[in-house]
Amino acid sequence: MGLVQGDWQHLQGISNDMARMVTTMQAVEQACAALQVPTSRAAAETALLTFRKAPQPIQACQYILENSQMPMARFQAAATMQEAAIREWALLSAEQRNSLRTYCLRYVMARADAAEAYVQVKVLAVAAVLLKRGWLDFATDKEAFFGEVREAVLGAHGPAAQRSGLALLEALVSEFSPSTASAMGLPAEFHEHCRASLELDYLQQFYTWAQEAAITAAEKALQGVGGTLDVNVCAAGLRLMSQLLNWEFQGTLVRGANGVVVVGKQKVNAFASSISREGSAAKRPGDHACLVQPGPGWYDVLLEGNRVGWILELYARVRQGGLGSSSWMDSPLAVAARQLIVQLCSLNGNIFPSDGGTTQELHLQRLLSGITSWLDPPEAVVGAIKSGSTFPSELLDGCHALVAIASVNSPSAFDQLLKPVSRSVGTLSLLASLTREIIKASDPADSEEETWTSKALDILLDTWTVLLQPADFSKQIPFPLSGIEAAAAVFHAYVETGIRAAAASAHDEDDDVEEVRAAIEARDERLSAVALVARAAPSATVPLLAHLVSERCTWLLQCTGGRGDPSSVKEELHWLLLMSGHVLADSGDGETPLVPESISALNVSSADPANHPAVLLCHSVVNLARQSLDTNIRTEIFSPRLMEAVVWFFGRWVDTYLMPADAGRGPNSTPSSNEGDQQQMGGTAGPQLQPLVVAFGEEGGGKAVLEVLVRVAVSGLISWPGERTLQEMVSFQLLPALVRRRNICVHLVSLEAWQELAHAFAFQQATLSTLASPIQRALSEALCRSAGGMSSGDATNQYVRDLLGPITRNLATLSKREDLQTFSQQPDVILQVSCLIERLRGAARATLPRSQKAILEIGSSVMEPLLILLETYRHQSSVVYLLLKYVVDWVDGQVAFLEAKDTVIVFSFCVRLLEIYSTHNIGKVSVSTSTNLLSEGQTEKYKDLRALLQLLTNLSSKDLIDFACDINGEVENPDVAQVVYLGLHIITPLMSVDLLKYPKLCRQYFTLLAHMLEVYPEKVAKLSPDGFSRIVGTLDFGLHHQDVEVVSMSLTALNAVAFYHYQAICRGQEGLGVHVLSIQDAQGVVKEGVLAHFLRSVMQFLLFDDYSNELVEPAADALLPLILCNTTLYQRLAQELLEGQQDALLQSRLATAFHVLLNAQQVTSSLDRQNRRKFRENLYAFLTDVRGFLRTR
Amino acid sequence: MSDDDHHFESKADAGASKTFPQQAGTIRKNAYLVIKTRPCKVVEVSTSKTGKHGHAKCHFVAIDIFTGKKLEDIVPSSHNCDVPEVVRTDYQLIDISEDGFVSLLTENGDTKDDLRLPTDEQLLTQIMDGFKDGKDLVVTVMTAMGEEQICALKDVGPKN
Repeated sequence: MGLVQGDWQHLQGISNDMARMVTTMQAVEQACAALQVPTSRAAAETALLTFRKAPQPIQACQYILENSQMPMARFQAAATMQEAAIREWALLSAEQRNSLRTYCLRYVMARADAAEAYVQVKVLAVAAVLLKRGWLDFATDKEAFFGEVREAVLGAHGPAAQRSGLALLEALVSEFSPSTASAMGLPAEFHEHCRASLELDYLQQFYTWAQEAAITAAEKALQGVGGTLDVNVCAAGLRLMSQLLNWEFQGTLVRGANGVVVVGKQKVNAFASSISREGSAAKRPGDHACLVQPGPGWYDVLLEGNRVGWILELYARVRQGGLGSSSWMDSPLAVAARQLIVQLCSLNGNIFPSDGGTTQELHLQRLLSGITSWLDPPEAVVGAIKSGSTFPSELLDGCHALVAIASVNSPSAFDQLLKPVSRSVGTLSLLASLTREIIKASDPADSEEETWTSKALDILLDTWTVLLQPADFSKQIPFPLSGIEAAAAVFHAYVETGIRAAAASAHDEDDDVEEVRAAIEARDERLSAVALVARAAPSATVPLLAHLVSERCTWLLQCTGGRGDPSSVKEELHWLLLMSGHVLADSGDGETPLVPESISALNVSSADPANHPAVLLCHSVVNLARQSLDTNIRTEIFSPRLMEAVVWFFGRWVDTYLMPADAGRGPNSTPSSNEGDQQQMGGTAGPQLQPLVVAFGEEGGGKAVLEVLVRVAVSGLISWPGERTLQEMVSFQLLPALVRRRNICVHLVSLEAWQELAHAFAFQQATLSTLASPIQRALSEALCRSAGGMSSGDATNQYVRDLLGPITRNLATLSKREDLQTFSQQPDVILQVSCLIERLRGAARATLPRSQKAILEIGSSVMEPLLILLETYRHQSSVVYLLLKYVVDWVDGQVAFLEAKDTVIVFSFCVRLLEIYSTHNIGKVSVSTSTNLLSEGQTEKYKDLRALLQLLTNLSSKDLIDFACDINGEVENPDVAQVVYLGLHIITPLMSVDLLKYPKLCRQYFTLLAHMLEVYPEKVAKLSPDGFSRIVGTLDFGLHHQDVEVVSMSLTALNAVAFYHYQAICRGQEGLGVHVLSIQDAQGVVKEGVLAHFLRSVMQFLLFDDYSNELVEPAADALLPLILCNTTLYQRLAQELLEGQQDALLQSRLATAFHVLLNAQQVTSSLDRQNRRKFRENLYAFLTDVRGFLRTR
Repeated sequence: MSDDDHHFESKADAGASKTFPQQAGTIRKNAYLVIKTRPCKVVEVSTSKTGKHGHAKCHFVAIDIFTGKKLEDIVPSSHNCDVPEVVRTDYQLIDISEDGFVSLLTENGDTKDDLRLPTDEQLLTQIMDGFKDGKDLVVTVMTAMGEEQICALKDVGPKN
């Protein structure tokens, strides 16, 4: 590899002759070949990277492009050319720039029909980049350039050139679109300008050209006079057209007086566009369709004449086999045409004249008339695909078109669209029958795979979602009657298939796949989409579910006594419970979800509120749950899996239905309209209460249901030993839901079942002690939270004391045992200790303002025992970790409330804890016979450290949030900073570079460090040189980290330190004192002062490293005080850089830039806000100016 | 309340095996477990069911803490597993004899001379080098089910 790794510098030295070019080409070709071989890949990569970074490689690149036989080498040459041109842009003369661009175009035109398309595409991309880079520099040249492109596109130079022209436009559009633009090291504003200019001046032209090219090519092809090339041109034209419609239209661009596009507020846009792109990833499910909103200027281009008709007709003719090949449906032309049609469906906004939507309606009707032939009749279409006689792609695109049309229409308008087109049936019934056919066609056996049916179903469910749940929630959407029937039919079909699939899979041995979290999420997403459909027709769907559930409950009971195999019934019930849960309630996710409006508004025909279908459904599930409490029935017909579904159902249901807080209010309790409220007042004031409130409200049947649920929860914990999933469901979903609202807690604490649970918990009865530790934690958390239901603060505190008192006494007794050392190491003792600590942690997490006092007492009483245990269990990393996490949570809950005297106690406890931990962990070398175990050990240590950092962060928040009321300010609040620095001092030796490689730990550490240095710089000054240098060491590490955030925080920290020092110096104080001085150590080696050292590294970083633009600001903030602290060093560094520059021109540019950096805009030597802002701008200008040529070095 | 208090009690059997029963469902990653009479550390736990509506069973992948060998076991999650008592004790290193045995100082002032030097290269060199340089070394000895091994080393500063 010696030659490949090649000495480029040396090669460059040789005079500019053929030999050098040939050598370079061979080297690149050799590297490209080596890239294919795994063993030599790394070396080849370095070789190519060196080639890319070599100065002035353009000639060599051109030589390779023209002469290399290896497409890969040509590709690399093109890529290098692009990189070099951007990097050395400032060095190129205007003429060179133009000729380079022309070179690219000529190159492609001359080889338009070459085989390796990717090389041509890359070269065109280079041309696009070059054009964009110079976009704002020359105004005159563009017209001529585009004139040529136009000729090529319209076919003046034959179809091959036509295709290349279209490809160039494609490259241009993607280069100018901010999300696909390549990096140029220029500010976002530049990209914004280019985007705006292209949108305003060229996009429409491009579209027209593409359309003309497509039309002529299609004509030729259809008449049979053209070759395959014409078909390709047509497809390329259509592709470009849809790409243009994909453009993120701004629509609001204005042209200034001098013909220059006014960007104005676009600065904000530059920021916003990136945000919206991030956000769009997690947008509503309707995202299968992005709206196309090009603005009124596009009317002529897109809608005038029979533009839409033409494309529909073209596709129809392709379909009939006019351009026939056997697989016409997936041919590029057909795909491109469908793509364009789908995009035209999502056309929206002010491109349509304000004529009450008539134009848009006609437009969509026309499109729909074309599209229905892809989908209608659904039975036949789906049947043909199932039998394998056609491909599903047309159907899928048809579904895409439906979701697109749905997202620009109201449900009723959507329904009307189809009526005039073909027959009296509305679009909704087409949608419904299509959805039904797809549901029927879906094969439950491979539901995990991405089959065409599941894809189609996803899109169709999105269509329903878009129709049923518009983005704007405030708008009430009346759903047409036919739609309600359609929705009911769809849901019916879905339930039927779902039950059948469940029954069929009941005996499947392998259920691992389903347990994967992603699969569960996907299932839930699908179910909630279906639930939305069900809620559109509650009067049909809820009774259906109620009927099915109660029917299966009866069947299940009939299976007792060995009278039948309940497996399939159980599986059906399991599925029905999941479905019902989704239909009846939304998942809370932190808010209190309301009863879905359509369900609460459901009219009950009979007078008895108990006959409300939702009540019936809920009651049958409650009954099922009650059955599970009977030991015999439980063992005979219930399974862990069925219980999981029951518990899941109630975990979700409780938040919405059980004792709702706003029980007195009607169905529409959204805060949107006051008028509505008034109406409801009238409605609910009458004697008839909402049936759901009667059934499950506080005054109604709520208490009885609560009692059942508590018993179900307890039985889930103790009657199903070892069923971890079920226990987790109970403790992570059902229990938290039960204690979430105070009005339920009030009833909970008075329930006998709950009291029994609390008793068993407090006295550590064996029934509960076999639970795994996270479940102990959750149980404790729930019990302590329920204390909030006690009538007074005192009662709450007493409740918590009663719950936890025995535990603390137990721990204290243990810690005082004489044989503690040997006794404590026994596994069952370790298990018990872990359980107790987890219980304490759960309680700490449940700290309420009204129970804070009790938790503080409890925590204080276990301080000594815990320190003893930490010492005892120093070798049991799992116990140590639990203990640390408990302290973290306890401090977190307490810190805001602590009064001064308690603060002293807590802080000294934390310091002792840190000390004990570090004594046992500093300087220890552990080994293990297995690398696997060794890395486990490393991970454990990492988790410990994270806990410790969290602890310090929590402690440091004492200064920020302090709710404590110190009536008598006698005791002085201990110095938070001192404590945290002491902590840092203890922790930093444990930090190793290896550990900082864990991203979470690293961020946490630097966040804490930046915070501390910013808020308490004076404390740093007082650190010992040893401690100080450790912190400095980590800052050095952080500065060179890959994570932008870490670098930014390191810079913030640097800024804080330098800022503090400079201000202190100005006031005549010593600032960082000894730390900034350069020291000469015993060997006579001079160690630079800290600030000088960092000035050097920040300068180095800014000028020569790769970094994201967003780091410039924090770097500027750090650089200014650093320069001010070390002016002489700064001068020297600048001088060195100047002297290192060979080129006189560049030297003078550099000199000017340095001058500008510190002198432009009257930057002074103060550190006030305004001055720092100016300096930031100067630095920006400075970097844009000099980085280009400095970095090639 | 206090008369009802539950106190720590251990089900320790006095036998030499020194293992304790614990429900399989509560054994987590990084816990110790006996598989095929070997003390192991669990590196992976997965649960599955015997059929859709059957009961849970745990699948353990664990590593022998002395030999580093990988072992696996499947246990119904409501059943008990044996958990070994794994104790780590720190001793001051006094001497290294030529035949590869170390001499350790116990807490009560006796010496313990029945342990071999570890086989692990890295640890071995560190012990030898540290000892040669006259540093004060503390070694950690791991004991489980009647077996012992030096597993960690700590340098507590130069000998004075």
